[in-house]
Amino acid sequence: MAIKNEEKLADVEVIKDNFEALHYICNAQIATAIFLAYHLEKPILVEGPPGVGKTELAKTTAEMLNLPCIRLQCYEGLDESKAIYEWKYGKQLLYTQVLKETLSEILEGARGLAQSVDKLHEFGDIFFSEQFLEPRPLLKALNEEEGCVLLIDEVDKSDHEFESLLLEMLSDFQLSIPEIGTIKASPERKPLVLLTSNNTREISDALKRRCLHLYIPFPDADLESRIVHARVPDIPGKLRRQLVAFIQELREMDLKKVPAISETIDWARTLILLHTDSLDADLVRQTLNVILKFQEDIETVEAEIQNVTNKALKEI
Amino acid sequence: MIDRTLVDFVKVLRTAEIQVSPAETLDAISAMNIVGYRDREFLKDSLSIVLSKNPQEKEAFDSCFDRFFTFDKFQQTDEGTSPGKEPDNQDGDFDLNTGDRQQGAGKGSGQGQGGGSQGEADTEEDQTELQPTSDLGKLLLSGNRAELMIAMAEAGREVQVNQIIVFTQKGLYTRKMMDAMGLKEMQDEIAELQGHGGRPQSNLADRLKRAREQLRDKIRDYVEKQFFLHADESGKQLREELLKKVKLSNLERRNFKDVQEVVFKMAKKLIAIHSKQRRTFRRGQLDVRKTLRHNMQYDGMFFDIRWKSTKVDRPKVMCICDVSGSVSNYSRFLLMFLYSLAEVLPKVRSFAFSSDLGEVSELFEYSTLEDAMAKTMRDYGNGSTDYGQMLMDFRNHCMDSVNNKTTIIILGDSRNNYGDPRTEILREMYDKAKRVIWLNPEPRISWTVGDAEMKKYAPCCHQVEVCNSLVHLERVVSNLLRTAV
Repeated sequence: MAIKNEEKLADVEVIKDNFEALHYICNAQIATAIFLAYHLEKPILVEGPPGVGKTELAKTTAEMLNLPCIRLQCYEGLDESKAIYEWKYGKQLLYTQVLKETLSEILEGARGLAQSVDKLHEFGDIFFSEQFLEPRPLLKALNEEEGCVLLIDEVDKSDHEFESLLLEMLSDFQLSIPEIGTIKASPERKPLVLLTSNNTREISDALKRRCLHLYIPFPDADLESRIVHARVPDIPGKLRRQLVAFIQELREMDLKKVPAISETIDWARTLILLHTDSLDADLVRQTLNVILKFQEDIETVEAEIQNVTNKALKEI
Repeated sequence: MIDRTLVDFVKVLRTAEIQVSPAETLDAISAMNIVGYRDREFLKDSLSIVLSKNPQEKEAFDSCFDRFFTFDKFQQTDEGTSPGKEPDNQDGDFDLNTGDRQQGAGKGSGQGQGGGSQGEADTEEDQTELQPTSDLGKLLLSGNRAELMIAMAEAGREVQVNQIIVFTQKGLYTRKMMDAMGLKEMQDEIAELQGHGGRPQSNLADRLKRAREQLRDKIRDYVEKQFFLHADESGKQLREELLKKVKLSNLERRNFKDVQEVVFKMAKKLIAIHSKQRRTFRRGQLDVRKTLRHNMQYDGMFFDIRWKSTKVDRPKVMCICDVSGSVSNYSRFLLMFLYSLAEVLPKVRSFAFSSDLGEVSELFEYSTLEDAMAKTMRDYGNGSTDYGQMLMDFRNHCMDSVNNKTTIIILGDSRNNYGDPRTEILREMYDKAKRVIWLNPEPRISWTVGDAEMKKYAPCCHQVEVCNSLVHLERVVSNLLRTAV
């Protein structure tokens, strides 16, 4: 598989640096996954808790390679007519109308039914042809001239059946359309496919088997601090470390939904708006709703705020 | 060579319950070709990405990888003795694991350096020593690690140490291996030397004894390693098979985790078999494509309209679980099974009762298993049973949502403390629902004894079953899923 900007995928360090230039800080596993996906020509299934940057990874990869990012958002009931292709029914109807009107011209000079049918066959049949095909994301990704990054987002939200639909695409980069035949990606320009899943249900083994599997956990304090720094460069270093330490503490607690990286970043932005330069218990209390999304969780944490804040301050 | 190593590694992964298909093995090989094996961490990340497919597997993978490729710490010491060998074959552990096929190539790699050097030092000290006559003794005192290793691997194969199943067999296999290596001959020699009484003789006897102890430790190590590599899996299967047959009430707390695994596996298996069945509906969404194509023969006039007609129908299950004192042992596992089932069947509604009925579906959905069960037991558990009350509650709150697609499962012993059984409500449920299934943990013979009301309830159910082991449970649920679609 040869892609534009191939040199950006030369090895893991290069990938890491390039990501960093785009403000996406990643660990070695993530870079390795992208590296292997490209060289083995395999899709990656990215799993992890919500908000750790799964979707962002695909977008950033596309940006890095300067390729279009085609996104297919999965949901319950998603089927082939929305994921692969659809016929342009209106145009097809018009076509039949046109055909009807020109019928006499076509059949001119034909004698008997058999001859007419023969004549009809000679006349090109484009009713089911690519001209009337409306490509949906998967087909679009195959047809993309330059190659592309295909993001199949939240594949766990779709039905079992849809997973099976994906298999052909994932293993051979091809799709079958009964009326036309098989459409293949050109071997030079295979799309780089990323699937994300929040693990709301187990993905079938068949699909997993065809993919590389990348699990993105919550980052450790050091990595998270660097991420915040990359995303919110304005934040003072001291506050950043306190904030990260606080979030790390929260992740240890028994919460319904622990804050993810996206929440950390939101919080950092909030604190900047408030012109803060150090955490304290009151401030945390006021802005807690930025990082915690359930009233239950907020109540649990509120009781512990002083405690956790002190810990976070001490760790610096 | 590297391919063979990888295949062996995959074998180890499989014993650690990581499912690796041949296709994935091939992927791993091509990944290895790209990545190379210079950078250990890089290799580990890469293989992990290719071979392990969920967080649990990743964890298992990490420990397997570390256990399998432990060459780093030995590398320095071995460099001098065996140059030119592949770095990953230098290590003693590695030779041990794959001893069967590596023994020919073994060129003195260093397993158990500490013990060995002491023995060698002794040998040098007493140059004038007597030499042992037994084969094993010679081997031990010669200080030739590689030969010792080969001998060990051979003995291991002879006694089929890879058949080891449970932890307690370790002593047995150690013993067997020692015997196979010619322990008896050496024992005799030691006894003889000690009986002789001379100083050089007793010196030699001491050395032999020491060597014997070292050998025993080493063999125990070896067996243990084999145990972890081979037996974990088969031992587990054995346990799981046993667990399935044991009466639920006899299971103990310590089995809890195993049971949980079994239950989860079972639920998953059942779902995999049954969730994909389709069912044709009379009407669905308008299928434009089909309509168009079908009506072309009528000149493009739409008078025969087609609908998207297939729709997956997953059974809608309502499950009522008795958690009163008398059946609490069973209900724990039934709840557990329900919990696992709820993860795969989207429409399970669960209820628990002793006398008053309460819905626990939401609890099941949002909490961990332990929490959910503890809370259920706390809120509803261990009261005295009142089936009449339960049925009334059910009619008041849930009857409306019962329709001809619903399957109702009632888990309980039907011991109503001589209260009003309210059979008519169950009859109503029977009429409305697709199926009513009653699972009773007691054997059939006691269904009519004492305050049990099974005789009255049974006619109002489509199916009544004894259910007191996981095998029963599996059968019932499998039937349920089959008939429900």
